[in-house]
Amino acid sequence: MSDAALDVNGRTVAADAPPRRHLGDWLREDLRLTGLHLGCEHGVCGACTVEIDGAPARACIAFPAALAGARIRTIEAFDDDAVMASLRRAFSEEHALQCGFCTPGMLIAARDAVLRAPGPDEAWIRREMAGNLCRCTGYVGIVRAIVRVVTERQETGLALPPSPPTAPATIRVRRSFVPREAADPAPPAPAGGAVPRDMAPRDMAPRDMATRDMATRDMAPRDMATSDATGWSRVEAHFIVARQPDATWAALADFPLLARCFPGATLTGHGADRVTGEVEVGLGPIRATFRGAATVERDEGLRTGVVSGAGQDGRSASRTRAEIAYRLTPDGPDGTRVDLDVAYRLTGPLAQFSRAGIVRSLARALVADFARRLNAELAGRDGTAPPSRPASAIRRALARLVPRRRRR
Amino acid sequence: MKAAAFQYERPGDLPQAIALLAREGAKALGGGQSLGPMLNLRLARPALLVGLTHLDPLRSIADLGHAWRIGAAVTHARLEDERLAGAEMLAAVASDIAYRSIRTRGTIGGSLVHADPAADWPLALATLDAVVEIEGPSGRRRCPAETFMQAAFTVDLAADEIVTAVEVPKTTPDAAWSAFKFCRKQGDFAQASAAILLDPDRRAARVFCGALDGPPRPLPGIARRLAEGLALPGDTVERELGRLVPDLDPIALRMHAAAIRRAADRLGRSA
Repeated sequence: MSDAALDVNGRTVAADAPPRRHLGDWLREDLRLTGLHLGCEHGVCGACTVEIDGAPARACIAFPAALAGARIRTIEAFDDDAVMASLRRAFSEEHALQCGFCTPGMLIAARDAVLRAPGPDEAWIRREMAGNLCRCTGYVGIVRAIVRVVTERQETGLALPPSPPTAPATIRVRRSFVPREAADPAPPAPAGGAVPRDMAPRDMAPRDMATRDMATRDMAPRDMATSDATGWSRVEAHFIVARQPDATWAALADFPLLARCFPGATLTGHGADRVTGEVEVGLGPIRATFRGAATVERDEGLRTGVVSGAGQDGRSASRTRAEIAYRLTPDGPDGTRVDLDVAYRLTGPLAQFSRAGIVRSLARALVADFARRLNAELAGRDGTAPPSRPASAIRRALARLVPRRRRR
Repeated sequence: MKAAAFQYERPGDLPQAIALLAREGAKALGGGQSLGPMLNLRLARPALLVGLTHLDPLRSIADLGHAWRIGAAVTHARLEDERLAGAEMLAAVASDIAYRSIRTRGTIGGSLVHADPAADWPLALATLDAVVEIEGPSGRRRCPAETFMQAAFTVDLAADEIVTAVEVPKTTPDAAWSAFKFCRKQGDFAQASAAILLDPDRRAARVFCGALDGPPRPLPGIARRLAEGLALPGDTVERELGRLVPDLDPIALRMHAAAIRRAADRLGRSA
C-alpha cells in the first residue's frame, strides 16, 4: 500500500490503492467519479482522458501510487468552467455526441485544444484530437463544435494571439560543404549477430522440403511474404554446426540437448516425436512464458524435419503457433549448414507489440544464440573448445533478450 | 485488462533510485506512456517499479552554451512548448509524438530507454549527435545516442543504471534539418521515418533512417550528397539503403527510401 495523497477535484485524498490499480479504476471504483469512462485501458482510445497537473492525460495508464502530490481534475470538476460551458453548448448544438461514451474524454481533450489553438484551423484541430476515438463517428460534429468555440473566443478577444505550435525549420541559405565524418561504415552485422555466414537474401530450401504438403494443414502458405491477413509470418535463417551432417542430425533428435541450447527453454516431457515444455521470451520490458507442446517429424533420407507446436502465455493470454521446417546440407568437409524456415502466428496482447520486423530480429537472435550454444555443447562433448566469437554490441544485446535470472 | 501486482517505490534521490533498481525484478518508471500499456496487457510484469520523474536532477533543462542539457524526465510536451533555440528540431519532433495527452506525461529519457524502433527520439537524437548521460553505482558515464540503442527494446544500459539527461549540441544559424515519418494515422507509430541534419559551420551532415527492426541506421553516403548540394534520385537512395540495411523487404525499402526523400525535400523549405 502506498500513502501518497492526491488532490482530486479540489479534495485531498489518500491514494490507498494497491500500486497496480490505475487512476481510472481508482477514480471510478473508489471515488465514484463515474464521469470518467474506460475504453481500451491501454492508452489508445482517450475515453479516460482527465487532467493531471493542469494537462490532459490518460487515466488508464497512470497509477495513483505514483502520483503523490498531483492535482487531478475529472469531468465533474468543470461544471463552472467557462471554456467547458462553451464546449458543452457547442457539442449539443453541433451534434457532437451520440452515445456519449467518448464525450467526457473528448471534452477534456477539446478544452486543452481550445486553449492551445492558434486559430479556428480545422486541420490543426483534427490533428490535436486524433488521440480520442469516437465509435459513433461523430468527428464532423465534434470538430465543428471545437472550431465554433475557438472562433467565438477569438471574436471576443479571449483567444491567445495566433502562434503556430511548432515552426518547421526555416532555411536561409543552403551552401554546400564537405562533411567532416565522411567515413562510410560497412553494412551492419545482421540482426542475428552470430549467424555465421552471409545473411544476404537468398533462395531458401525448396518449398517441398518438408515431408508433407504444409498447405493442406491449418498452416501458413509457404510462398507468402513476411505476413498476411491471416496473421502468419515467416522468418528464414540458417546456422552452421561444426559437425558432419550425421552427428548434427543425431543432435537435432536429442530433445534434452536442444532444450539446453534454446534460450529460455525448459523441457517438461518428451517421447520419440513429441515434446512438452515452456519457453520464456524476454524483449525489453516484455516477458512471456509460452507453455505448450510440439510434434516432430523427420525424414532421415532427405535430412529434413518439421517441428509443429503451439503454446500459450497464461498471464497475458497471448497464443502462438509455429512450424519450423529444417534441412541439413554439408558445409565443407566437417560442417553442416542448417536452414530454417519458420512460420508463426501470434495472437493476443503480445501480437499488438510484435511488428513483424521485431519478431524477425528476435527470432534471428534466438537462432544465433541457439547455434552458438549447440556448437559449444557439441564441442564440450568431445573435449574440443567451443568456437570463440568476438564480443559485440549484438552479443550484449542478445544477453538481454533472454530472461535475467539473477541480478546483483 | 489490469496490471499484475507490483510494488512501487518513490526514491528520495538518484543514489536511492540506483539502489532500488538493483533489486530483483525492478524496473524504472518514467512517464509510463509505453510501459503503462504493457503493464495493463500483462506483457511486462515487474516486481517493483521505481518512479523517477519526480527527481529534480532529471527535470531541468540547462543551457551549456554549445549544447542543451535536457533532463531525462522532461516531457515531450515541455520540449514542444519551450522550442529551445538552436535545437528547433526537438520541438518539431516532440509535437508529432502520439497525442498531447501522451506528450504531457511521456518523457524524452523514458522513450529513449524504452527503445521502440518506431519511436521518434532514438532517431532524432542520433541525427542531432546527442550524448546520453548515464548514472550508475560506479558513477557517471556518457554514451553517444547513435550507439545507445542496440536492438529493438534493447539499449546500452545496465539494470541499475539510469539515464539522467541527454546533451543536444546546438545547431548554427545556417543549419538545415528535417524529420519525416509515415504513420497510418496521426499519432500512430511510424512505419518508416528519417531525419536529416546539415550544419555547414560544424561540417556536420547526418542522415538517419528509423522505424527499422532495430536501431536507426546512419546513411553517410546520402548525407554527403546532401551536404555537397547534389540531387538525390530515388534509385540512389534505394541502392544506398539496400546496401546498408540489407534486411529490408522490397516494400519496406521503398517506404523508407521515400521517407528519406521526403525529409530531404523538406530541408530547404520554410514553414
